[in-house]
This record gives sequence, C-alpha cells and structure tokens, in this order.
Amino acid sequence: MITELDLEDIQGNIVKAYGRYGFPLARFVFYHVDNAEKGRLFVQRITPLVTTSVHWSKKLNREIPAVAVNLAFTYEGLKSLDVPADTLHAFPDEFTMGMKARRAIVGDVGPNHYKHWDPIWNHPDDPTLQHIHIMIGINGKDPNDLEASYQQVCGILNATGGVTQLKGHRGPNGAEDLPYQPANALAGGTEHFGYADGISSPYFEGCGEDPRFIIGGGKPTGLDPATAAGWEPLAAGEFVFGHADESEAYPEAPGPPLFSRNGTYMVYRKLHENVGSFNALIEEEGRKFGSKEAFAAKMSGRWRNGAPLAGYPTEESANRFAAELSALRDKSHKGTATAEEKQRYGELKLKLTAYDYTSDTEGAKCPFGAHTRRTNPRGALQFGVEKPFATPGALSNRRRILRRGLPYGKVEDPSRDDGDHGIVMMILNADLSRQFEFVQEQWINYGNDFKLANDKDPLLGNHGKDENGRGSGRMMIEGDAASNKPPYFCGGIPNLVETRGGDYFFIPSMTCLRMIAMGLVDPT
Amino acid sequence: MANQSGNAYALTALFPIRHGVPSEVPEGLAGQTHTACVRYLLQDVLRVSEDSPMARVPNTYLSRFCILLDVPYQGKPAVLEHLKSNYLVFEVNFHGQLEPYLEGMWKAIEPEVRSLLTYCFGFDKVHDTASFIDYVKKCQIETTFYFNGSTDEPVAVQLKNLYLKQELSQFVYENQGKSAAELKTAFEAFVARTQPENIEAPTWRPGAYSLAKAVVGQKTMGAGAQ
Repeated sequence: MITELDLEDIQGNIVKAYGRYGFPLARFVFYHVDNAEKGRLFVQRITPLVTTSVHWSKKLNREIPAVAVNLAFTYEGLKSLDVPADTLHAFPDEFTMGMKARRAIVGDVGPNHYKHWDPIWNHPDDPTLQHIHIMIGINGKDPNDLEASYQQVCGILNATGGVTQLKGHRGPNGAEDLPYQPANALAGGTEHFGYADGISSPYFEGCGEDPRFIIGGGKPTGLDPATAAGWEPLAAGEFVFGHADESEAYPEAPGPPLFSRNGTYMVYRKLHENVGSFNALIEEEGRKFGSKEAFAAKMSGRWRNGAPLAGYPTEESANRFAAELSALRDKSHKGTATAEEKQRYGELKLKLTAYDYTSDTEGAKCPFGAHTRRTNPRGALQFGVEKPFATPGALSNRRRILRRGLPYGKVEDPSRDDGDHGIVMMILNADLSRQFEFVQEQWINYGNDFKLANDKDPLLGNHGKDENGRGSGRMMIEGDAASNKPPYFCGGIPNLVETRGGDYFFIPSMTCLRMIAMGLVDPT
Repeated sequence: MANQSGNAYALTALFPIRHGVPSEVPEGLAGQTHTACVRYLLQDVLRVSEDSPMARVPNTYLSRFCILLDVPYQGKPAVLEHLKSNYLVFEVNFHGQLEPYLEGMWKAIEPEVRSLLTYCFGFDKVHDTASFIDYVKKCQIETTFYFNGSTDEPVAVQLKNLYLKQELSQFVYENQGKSAAELKTAFEAFVARTQPENIEAPTWRPGAYSLAKAVVGQKTMGAGAQ
C-alpha cells in the first residue's frame, strides 16, 4: 500500500529543502511566552502565514511563494501554551529534557558546551532551563520580501502581546545582541569550508517531491544504485508522525492522535565553523598527503565541488565532472540547452547521488571514516561480504535524517577561527533518540560501526585536545591495494565545528497548530 | 559443555542470601536485612573498573554481581511463583578451568569475597580454598550466554596485545613518512620502550576502559615517541 500524505496539513520545511527552490535567505526568530492566552492568540495569528508541503506547480496555479514561514515549539513552549499535561507527559525524555541536557550523548561538551553558546540559548537566571518557547523560520528569495514578512510577524506580536521576542544572537563581532539569527546561502551553494552543500537528502513515501530524487535518496534495494531499481522511498513514518515507519509501526508520539499526526521533531543547531583551523589542516596535511583538494575530499567523501569520491576518485575526473555539470546547469537555467544537453544534464545530476559503496568495500576511493560515508552509509555497513544481505539498508534505514539548513555569517579572514560564521543546521526526524542522537553519538563521535575504534567524524567530531593543546582527532585514509598506495594516517585534527546554540523542537501539523491556538488539545 | 567455549569459561553462580537481619551490620544499616547489606557493599564499598577487586583476579574477562529479588509475575494464565530467598548473582567469564580460577580468586581477594558472601546461606562452612570451590560449585547453574569480546588468549596476553595495539597506532601516526633509517631508529626505540616480549609490563591495566588510566609500567601513552 502506497502511503499518501496530506501535504496541505504538513509544514513545508518537512518535505521541502527550501534551498532547492531558490530561497537563499532566512531569519530564525525565537520567542518566550509570558502569557498563555496571548501566546495562543499569537500562534493563531501566525498560523495562516505558515507554508505547507503542498506541491508547487505552475500548471496547478500554485506558484512558489515569495517567502516560506514555519513554526515550531520546544517542550517548555508547548507547556507555556497550556497544552494538557497528559499530552506533555507522553513526549519522550529526550524531547522533554531538551538538547542541553542531552549534551553527553550529542557531544556538546568541551568547546561545544552551552556556556559557549550565543546568550539567547541560556536562561538569564539559570542556563540549564529551557528559555526558548517558539521558533519562527522565515525563508525568502528577496531581502525585501524577507523583511516584509519579518515585519508582518513583528506586527502580529505587537498586536497580541504576551510573547517576548528574544534577543541574544551573536553577530560578526561576537558581541552583538541580534533579535534574530540571519542566514544566507553562499555563492556557489557551498558552506564556509568550501564544500558544495545540501546535495543528498532522504526521499520518503508520499513526500510529493520529484521521484527522480528517490535514486540515491531512498533506501537501497541491493540492485544497481545507478538506476531507479536500486532504490525505493523510505517509509513516511521515519519523518512524519501518524504514518507507518520502517518497522511497520507508527512512530511513538503523544496523543491525541490528531495532535501529533503529520508533525515531526526538529533539531536546531547553530554550528560555528573554524575556518582558519580547517584551512591550516588541509594545507599542512594536503602537502604530506599529496594534494590539498584530495585531502579535503577524503575527509568529506565528496570533492569540494560536490563530486562523490565513490564515482570520481581522482581530482581530474571530479573537476571535469563539475565543469560539465556547471556549464549544463547554466544553459539549462537560461533555457538554451538542447534536448541532448538537457538529457545529459539529468544524467550528470544523478551521478551526485546515484551511487553506493559496493565497488569500494576497502575504502580505497571513499574512506570508511569520511563524513558522508559515516552519516549516510548507503547500505555499506556490512563488512566482509561481497553481496550484503537481502536488506542492504537494514542497519541504516532507521538512522536517516532530513537535513535542512543554511550557512550564516561571513568569513572575514580565512586564516582565523573567530568571528561568527557557520551553518544553521536543522535536522528533522520522527525519533530524536533513534535517529539524530544515534547518528551524532555513534557515527559522528565514535567509530566502532565502521571498524574505526574511537576515531570520530573528521569534520564534525568533537575531538578534544591532548596535553599539549593539539587536536586529538585522527583519521585513517585507506590505501589502494590495486595501485600499491599505502594508507595515510592523519592525526592532530582539531575541532573544526563547534556548537553555538540549539534545541529540540516539535513541528506540529497545521491541524495541530490550530488545536494549540484554540486550546482544544484533549488527550482524554 | 555449555559452560565452556574454547578456552573461555562462563560461570554463573546464585548464592542464596540469608533471611532476616544480620547480627553485625555496616554503620548506618542497623535493622536492615542481609540483602540490604549486600547491596550496600556492591553499591557503596566495592569499586568498579580498574579499582574493582575482580580486576585483581587473574584471567578475568568480565564479571558482574547483581541481586535477584524474585521472579517476575507475568499475569494470568502464568502461575504466580516466588523464590525462596534473594540471590546474589555472580557472573564471570574467564580464561581457563573453573577450579584454578576460583583458587586464584580466593588467593587474590579473599577479604572482599568474605565481606560479600558472609550474608549468604552456607558460607559459614567455607574456611579455605577447597571449601570455597565446593561452595561455588554447589551454587553454580549452567551458563549459555557468553560475553563476546575476547579472543581465546590468556588475559595477560590480551591486555598486552591491547596495549601494544594502542601504542603501535600512536607510533604510526607519529612516524609515517620518515626515511627507512629514521623509521628503524624510531621503531627500535618503540620496541625498547614497549617490550613486546614482556607480558607483565608495560601493559594495559586490568579493568581500565579509558586510555588515561590504562597503562601500567610506564608514565604516559607515547611518552617516548617524541
């Protein structure tokens, strides 16, 4: 039975990576509810602005809107709006506790500890308390539209009262007290380390997105990963409450069923990027390894231009691929591509995602420890077998996460780590513990599943320091028996990314937003 | 035999804890039961990891103590049953044969064993190694599950292997790319420092799970590999 989702009821950021629809700008605004009744009125007035997951199509007269607005709540936020205790008590511990309290699991210790976060994330009286109640995300294409939408939201706030818009986001000088977190895509669609970003995302049943994205975005079937036969959509319940998940059961969610149906959880993380450390590392290690770009690619699993190592193991082949793809993309966007070129463009785009690691079981092309191979193993967790067992994604299909995010800030001096630049990362899934926290704890900050002992994700790992203050991160880059190339051992990796804020949020359905606003949640 | 797999032996023993209140109790436990005293010892007195008394018992792979209060009732139509007493459950996986292992245990940690088992039925008959072995055997039940995390080697060899593995990986990180002559010199220094043929030291501390506390017989990890 194919799952059909009520896309009009599901918030748009669950299904759509707005970046793919050409929204390069965003503001993330956070609120504290002082008065429950007025807070519910605020939610009621914002709800009609909220963007849903409905398919955008010129044919159906549903144009892509100028801005996309989305709304989410922390546990304390739901409590502050008088959601009944029976419903609140049915939330799992990890959501109730919030991200700070889960820091040992998530790896938010040392330089990632909340004492280093932007002030907004810490309650002025007690930093362990959850201070933020509501988040509104506004994504836009044009700065004027973005500002207009923001002003509209501010206008509603002024009219209803009872809710405080929280300041305390750091800006470029580190000491600003910004009223919202700005974010903007960088030229070329990269993040601050220069990697092309947002390439691959899980595809799930009923999401209504272009079915071509199933290839490389779904779960592996064991057949040719370069073709549609190699993939099928993940179960909707991995990402949306009220629908069957990969275990053929509904994900656990609070009642009444209408409250959670079509909602999900979102992890918001402001991740600072230590650009100076990254550049120094790839410069120094690249010299020893033989190539700076190749070293950067081995850490990520993709060349910085986006080409996957599994398909493009040499720098030359990756560059050729990227140049052709970029030329065809330009032509295609300008509408000057011939039918042949359009077809070629489609084929090349597929190469970005339509692969797995069955031809790279020794890690000679893409290291086992590379960031993308760790976080999305594509059925590659079965070691020592030629043909992985009948369900090749058995160990990873329940660990998939949707990534929605944008870079923030600007790098003023690429030789320095300070300043305010990184990625606002939003991770969506139906089970915070089984999906996000597992990936974070086991695949990013540990290596056992990849037979890499306690090595961590070179890019995202919280590596710690040795007694001399040098980074303790390690990565082995497998050699290649075919060309007699020895493995390369990179030590001394410092923390390249540091947490600067965030929490766990619940993204309700449109129905649920109205229920919260009306005070109609009835779990009895 | 299910208790044995290769050189690994899995012992499960259930020591029945005496009923009622002991005549002598640890401070603060006046009026408390034998079971409460055992729990107090397990939770508050005996340490874990490298400080555990079991870390001093030769050839121990893994060991756990816990208290079994009763069998759970699963509701009708199951029959409601009860154990006749609480039990101190002792699980241990070790290298070698049962009797020599228990002999080593008695020799290494007799005072700690006495402190715990004194609250159990029948332990008053134990007065030496032989009677301890008899006592454990009387309380033994067949084991079918093993801790799957060991090779078949004696523990001292495994600990040395673990130590050498960590040291060697450190050596690789610190010396890759060096010339053959430099590498030879560095490796000779490595061998002199780590003494691969010497099982006793330097080696991995039994029971330790973090690198910081792991190495015995030398100051710090990789200290000689500057």
